Amino acid sequence: MDILVCVKRVPTVGGKIAVTPDGQEVDTRMSGFTISPHEECAVEEAVQITERLGGTVSVLTLGPEAAIDQLRDALALGAGRAVLLETDGREFGPAATAAAIAAEVRSHGYDLVLLGNEASDTGDYQVGIRLAHALGWPVATGIKNLTTSADGAVARREYRGTEESYELPLPAVITVKEGINLPRYPSLPGRLRAKRAPVERSAPAWQPEGLRKQALRVPAVAGHQAVILGRGVDAVPELLRVLGELGVL
Amino acid sequence: MSELSTEEQAIVATVAGFVDRDVRPVARDLEHADSYPGELIDQMKRLGVFGLAIPEPYGAAAVSTPCFVQVTEQLARGWMSLAGAMGGHTVVATLIGEFGTERQKQRYLPRMATGEVRAAMALTEPGGGSDLQAMTTTARRDGGDYVVNGTKTWITNARRSQLVALLCKTDPAARPRHAGISIVLAEPGDGLRVSRDLPKLGYKGVESCELSFDDYRAPAESLLGGTEGRGFAQMMKGLEIGRIQVAARALGVARAALDDALRYAQQREAFGKPIWKHQSVGAYLADMATSYTAARQLVLHAARRYDSGRRCDLEAGMAKLFASETAMQVALNAMRIHGGYGYSTEFDVERYFRDAPLMIVGEGTNEIQRNIITSQLVARGGVGS
Ligand SMILES: Cc1cc2nc3c(=O)[nH]c(=O)nc-3n(C[C@H](O)[C@H](O)[C@H](O)COP(=O)(O)OP(=O)(O)OC[C@H]3O[C@@H](n4cnc5c(N)ncnc54)[C@H](O)[C@@H]3O)c2cc1C
Repeated sequence: MDILVCVKRVPTVGGKIAVTPDGQEVDTRMSGFTISPHEECAVEEAVQITERLGGTVSVLTLGPEAAIDQLRDALALGAGRAVLLETDGREFGPAATAAAIAAEVRSHGYDLVLLGNEASDTGDYQVGIRLAHALGWPVATGIKNLTTSADGAVARREYRGTEESYELPLPAVITVKEGINLPRYPSLPGRLRAKRAPVERSAPAWQPEGLRKQALRVPAVAGHQAVILGRGVDAVPELLRVLGELGVL
Repeated sequence: MSELSTEEQAIVATVAGFVDRDVRPVARDLEHADSYPGELIDQMKRLGVFGLAIPEPYGAAAVSTPCFVQVTEQLARGWMSLAGAMGGHTVVATLIGEFGTERQKQRYLPRMATGEVRAAMALTEPGGGSDLQAMTTTARRDGGDYVVNGTKTWITNARRSQLVALLCKTDPAARPRHAGISIVLAEPGDGLRVSRDLPKLGYKGVESCELSFDDYRAPAESLLGGTEGRGFAQMMKGLEIGRIQVAARALGVARAALDDALRYAQQREAFGKPIWKHQSVGAYLADMATSYTAARQLVLHAARRYDSGRRCDLEAGMAKLFASETAMQVALNAMRIHGGYGYSTEFDVERYFRDAPLMIVGEGTNEIQRNIITSQLVARGGVGS
């Protein structure tokens, strides 16, 4: 089984998000870049599938040259081949991204393409669906449980409290969510191999799309309020009352 | 500041993540149950920790010695026993890599790199560990075999090793005595028995055992390097990396004790303020951090010297001596800072205090390290530049 996993270089966000002065980017001077947990799980899922069924795992990113760091992280987790669709730094919209990935899928040939359910920065929720449409393949999104065999896949997800189950023939596109598995630690030899692995490159042309980014703004969050109920044991009756009100007692 | 390449930094960070996520939460319970940490060892195998000293083509992840030191430190920061589980193994891998015949390398190194084969080193005897040349275990040539007789003690990982690098005499009458010493690569077989698991103060979870050889036969080709009489010199080289590894374990114990004490001193209040604000507690913290940092520099210095290919028994000896004494002092001060809780088995500090002395005694006692340092000072005409 030959599997392609698509990952995206996104800013690491932990605490407070800041925006660059021109309002165009998330300020990453203090944070750095990563891939989203969904995509880390997609890489792990692909590695597990090929450990069971044999085959190859390729990892692809569309992004600037620096996104090679994220490809190497995925190589360290067990992917065997890396493809960079290099951009000049301009953000590709979901349609252009899907078109560029579709071209790579057509030229190389895969049995399965895994993506994260959504990119953790732009959150368009579109690339997987558009990619499947461009290829004429079936697609399932938001998958948290996947069973794969040589003939097809059974993909499950939760939707409003009920479990949905899809049977898909291969080739197919599946977008997965964090929780589908527990990603392994990159092995130490994997880390060293990843450094030396060649990265195949091509440069798809940027295309304008309907939507354009004007500027980013950090929404004002409602300030949290802390109430001091009392000090030491004196606070206990009041604490019990609050816990009772919350229904946790 | 880090002198490591970005990949090596990522390797250390990966191990640090493993220690924080999977080791620290369970170390105390495993220690007190004195149970073998099979699952953690398996994870270390999958990570590739057992192959860090095994170069290509036999292994896949040989790293620089400064990186090896930092990985070992991280493991010991979580639980010293885990760092012990790969210590002797690394010495044996280094011995085979440096001195083994091609056949010996092919036979052991690829499987040692994955941890499928784990190795122990057997030097110490009931009659003495410091004066190795006085050892009494013998390997007598008989046709195509060596026949081994004798007893070794304190052999760590002995029960779970598939390979024992055995220091023994192939010519007990030789003068000088070291000219009669060889290393035999012994695999489990008839006549080799783990006769006893030794009870000990700390370093729980991994076994340290007495091994008896009773007409144990090893094929002649299991002599390390194939030439008799080289074993003592070979082992002295192996002990250079062994002592650096033990020094790195001491760093890990010191670091854990320092981190715990620093956190506790900010949480615990006495006389209306956090205890770190009491001058004598603050001064402990300052001294602990200072000597830990000095020890770390000294260990990394020895590691760089090792990688330069030059003789580094002086540097490894200094690193082992200073880092282990530092770990003991830092663990003691962490206990003082924790007050009564430092003495409680519900905290980790008492474990650091029980683990630290091993690094003072093991891999050559600190008295022996001083002997080595002194004789090298005289031989080299000073500490050098
Ligand atoms: C938990 C544990 C694990 C161990 N694991 C291993 C292992 O895996 N493999 C292995 O081979 N060994 C192992 N050892 C053994 C360890 O290396 C020895 O205990 C150590 O080398 C000291 O030897 P000894 O115990 O026989 O002490 P002795 O040699 O009897 O020394 C007793 C005392 O005399 C001092 N002394 C001796 N000679 C001199 C001298 N010339 N100058 C100054 N002082 C001197 C020593 O420093 C020490 O203070 C382990 C020990 C322990 C406790």
